[in-house]
Amino acid sequence: MTTVTSSRRPAVAIEGLYKSFDTGTAVEDLSFEVGDKEFVSLVGPSGCGKSTLLRLVSGLIAPTRGTVRVRDKEVRGPLAGVGMVFQAPVLLPWRTTLANVLFTAEMRGERAERYRARANELIRLAGLEGFEERLPHELSGGMQQRVAICRALLLNPSLLLMDEPFGALDIITRERMGFELQKIWSATRNTVLFVTHSITEAVLLSDTVVVMSARPGRLKAVIAVDLPRPREVTTLSDPRFVALAARVRDNIEARWVE
Amino acid sequence: MTSTASALQLARAARPLLGLLALLVVWQYGAALAHVPGYILPLPSEIAARFWQTRAVQLHHLSVTALSTLIGLAAALAFGVLLALLVVYLPVLKAIVMPVLAAFNSIPKIAVAPLFIIWFGLGIESKVVLAFLLGLFPVFVNSVTGLGEIEADVLDLSRLAGGTQLRIFVKVRLMNALPYITDALKVAFPLALVGSIVGEFIGGNSGVGYLILSAQFNLDTPLVFATLVSITLFTTLGIGVVALVEHAFLKWRPSRRRR
Repeated sequence: MTTVTSSRRPAVAIEGLYKSFDTGTAVEDLSFEVGDKEFVSLVGPSGCGKSTLLRLVSGLIAPTRGTVRVRDKEVRGPLAGVGMVFQAPVLLPWRTTLANVLFTAEMRGERAERYRARANELIRLAGLEGFEERLPHELSGGMQQRVAICRALLLNPSLLLMDEPFGALDIITRERMGFELQKIWSATRNTVLFVTHSITEAVLLSDTVVVMSARPGRLKAVIAVDLPRPREVTTLSDPRFVALAARVRDNIEARWVE
Repeated sequence: MTSTASALQLARAARPLLGLLALLVVWQYGAALAHVPGYILPLPSEIAARFWQTRAVQLHHLSVTALSTLIGLAAALAFGVLLALLVVYLPVLKAIVMPVLAAFNSIPKIAVAPLFIIWFGLGIESKVVLAFLLGLFPVFVNSVTGLGEIEADVLDLSRLAGGTQLRIFVKVRLMNALPYITDALKVAFPLALVGSIVGEFIGGNSGVGYLILSAQFNLDTPLVFATLVSITLFTTLGIGVVALVEHAFLKWRPSRRRR
């Protein structure tokens, strides 16, 4: 099947992946690769199994058939040390910003103090300086989600999984968060698998956009985004950007027309 | 802060006391006007005088009751949380333990209190057991909720970060359960006190339950009321301690957030 072009060994290799639930097949015969340090977006209509795919990659659920390999090792259970960001921030309400960011280190059994400098660096990078000692309920939705991203990046994970991380935000905040994420990612360069509904977001952030069909989710197209970085607001009106977004859209809608 | 603002704050703090004060005034002068005999309803002033007169006796009996109540409550806390842990970590047990406990809870423990006197004697043990049994259920039920109801995303996140069951327990489940447990204590504390007092009613020669009973034999109604005052002071103190713990550790709870 189609593979994403990558010069190095892939960070994630998905082969012949099937996943069915009692309610039907969520993912069908999916194969693709994510290159090392690559930012890959998964787009597709609602319910096409994008979130299921992320859970399969992280090992939180097991495939019905097929394999997921992360750094050449087959995933057979929850991967320890994968960064995860959900649609909701899921911060611990009793922890401050700093303590929430340090949570992943504590879960791994590390001494939190050792990661304090790194946490502060990420907090600064995410524009949360001055909010270190605030509790989640004192932060806006966008800020909470930035805390969640910092938390996911704390241990410098070799793989960062993001499941519609900006889906719950208003459109203005959402656009700004996209640029924030690009800035953070440019500094950290983790391999990212990013699920989104937004075509604009996908093209703007990614090196590669993987388009999935409606349920059951199949691979529809793999589109390389070769726009120069950093991408800015002006990129949105760049003819090449517009053309790429149109290609992604065509691939999503072709299925709808069928 | 301006003086008017601080006066306003003082007035706000005194508000709960105003109702009580009004009640006492109506009671004092109303009962006198209606010529209610003192052995039926003593005047607040009489109660206050009797309370002061018997303060050493009150303190002695209250300390006896407080001891059995607090031991029973501590046992209920420890055992209730432990039982909740079993149910949360071994879901198989939930189907077995829950119905048994619910059935057990539906037995009015007060009705079987005489049995505990037979089993555990007239001393402190029977009171502790009663206090324990009455306090157990609220602690258990709330702990099951607090330890068990964690967002699936939080658990996934913890596992993906490399969290072991022990770390997830200490840093997520236990923290999540804390407000549930303090809420349970606010209910379990007065219940445990009921257990102790009922035990003292039935058998024994000390404790506020015993004091009330002997005052009743002598038709010393002011002493009955004075003892009720002691008990109320004790429960207020207990609830106050729980509230202080909440204030110190649970600032993040929705009900405690500053707007």
